[in-house]
Amino acid sequence: MLKFYFTRSMREIVGHLILIGIPVVIIAFFNFVFRDIFQPPGQLLPIPYLTVITVGFALTFQIYGASLSFEVLGADFFSSMRDRLMASPAEPRGLVVAIIGSGCLISFLQTLAVLLFSSIVLEADLGSLHLTIPIFMISVIVNQLLGTAILLLSRSTKVANSVITIYGSIVPMTVGLYFPLPDGAFVRVLSRYLSPMALANTAILGAMEGNLSVALSTTAVLAVIGIALFVVMRPLVRRLAS
Amino acid sequence: MIVEVEEVIKRFKDRLALDCLSLAVESGEVVGLLGPNGAGKTTSIRAIVGLLAVDEGTVSVFGKRQDGRNKEIKRRIGYVTQELTIYEEMSARANLEFFGGLYDLTGDRLRERVEAVAAVLGLDGRLDDRVNTYSGGMKRRLNIGCSLLHEPELVIMDEPTVGIDPQSRSFILEFVKQLAEGGTSVIYTSHYIEEVEAVASRIYIMDQGHMIASGTLPELIARIQGDSHILVDVRIASEDVRQQLRGIPDITDVVLEENQYHIVVPGGISVFDQIIPLLAPLTIVNINSKQPDLEDVFLTLTGKQLRDAV
Ligand SMILES: Nc1ncnc2c1ncn2[C@@H]1O[C@H](COP(=O)(O)OP(=O)(O)O)[C@@H](O)[C@H]1O
Ligand SMILES: [Mg+2]
Repeated sequence: MLKFYFTRSMREIVGHLILIGIPVVIIAFFNFVFRDIFQPPGQLLPIPYLTVITVGFALTFQIYGASLSFEVLGADFFSSMRDRLMASPAEPRGLVVAIIGSGCLISFLQTLAVLLFSSIVLEADLGSLHLTIPIFMISVIVNQLLGTAILLLSRSTKVANSVITIYGSIVPMTVGLYFPLPDGAFVRVLSRYLSPMALANTAILGAMEGNLSVALSTTAVLAVIGIALFVVMRPLVRRLAS
Repeated sequence: MIVEVEEVIKRFKDRLALDCLSLAVESGEVVGLLGPNGAGKTTSIRAIVGLLAVDEGTVSVFGKRQDGRNKEIKRRIGYVTQELTIYEEMSARANLEFFGGLYDLTGDRLRERVEAVAAVLGLDGRLDDRVNTYSGGMKRRLNIGCSLLHEPELVIMDEPTVGIDPQSRSFILEFVKQLAEGGTSVIYTSHYIEEVEAVASRIYIMDQGHMIASGTLPELIARIQGDSHILVDVRIASEDVRQQLRGIPDITDVVLEENQYHIVVPGGISVFDQIIPLLAPLTIVNINSKQPDLEDVFLTLTGKQLRDAV
């Protein structure tokens, strides 16, 4: 089942080109244009600019990658396909889990592709991957669940797409990815903690800096968000079946 | 009894989609559900499959009340949806394996069933091609095949031939007959009279949520007491012969127009023995006879042509 959904999603070539190709191009572009502004030559930052944008854009495109789950779910459960699936003895819950599982897997592979590109082609220093990879993974799950929850609430792939597009445009700004944010207590909290992306970003950069308490605590909050989304989804999936 | 629908009422908001609908399917028969678009065929079927809760009345399938949750019932039904519900970007094999998997088929058994279904539907040569390279007729056949992997006892097909070429259509009709010969019960909906006539052993005619008639084809035709029309073209027509024809007790009416006699006879009665000797001396050029058919049944019962209603 998982294999079927995985293969199905992998057929969306254009989608993969967007979700891997665009961040890769943006990272290379930002690195080329802005590195000397953010990181004047000779000055040492705790984490190099290239690493920061690699993490930032990998996380940004995880948000857009939520469509991997909800597009498939929409095509199966908000179309005439629903009748065929519901006529079978298969549990809708099982199908939903397989779809989200496959979405998570592919989104994670896309993240890996972006990280690999940055590390191999641009020679970014990505530090201790064994610490950061699990955080990327949790972030993938949170994003896939978030997109799915929005689809199940709105019952419309179109609406889910719009919401995710807007969300995915605003949140990276609040994390300070596109331009420097003004200094201030609220902005600092916003950019570090007030969105799943901010939490994942803080956790990953924390892990890279060796600041394990920050990494662990923000990862824990992120995981709690994931669990909360999972709980919210249970009645939504049940509604899907009725 | 395989399916028993009793006095079912289904409303969508204030629209009455099924109005006191009753229907029964016995083991091994092909029941045709005929009606124009919007008649309520799909709604009836979705109620039988358990995808739709009815407002009043009961639906039982295999002797059990259909509430949409009984997996044993689901396992015994094969539902062919009106819309194509197959994954176009995947191969036919992947589709068949996926839908077989939903019915818990695995391993060798699944592979065997995929091959068998592909063979009977004539898809075996193209099993590994992507469905979006298929013709409309092949897609329709695959759409049917995806509902047959688990060898259902009851196959429900909702307009399975919409928009396909004549060959594929007759292939599918032939296939439905074979299914029934193998003991499978079939519900077949269509708005094409010829199809229902061709496959169904019993026919239900629906219009606007009502079941307006049911029975075998001869029963339905007898019921409307329609007339047969015989058109005879002759070389040299004569008014005398018209009078003589009119004198035959079984003949209701004879009209002579140019060189054509238009003879009206009550349905089911044959008068050829009596008219040929009278007409032969005039040199018969052509004979056409039109028996009352389902179209006349529909027309008589609803006051409209099924083709117009579609
Ligand atoms: N889910 C639905 N919501 C609202 N109206 C519906 C729904 N399904 C069917 N209908 C209405 O019920 C009537 C019967 O439709 P349907 O069963 O699809 O007819 P058929 O299959 O004979 O063409 C139509 O008027 C249709 O618009
Ligand atoms: Mg229909």
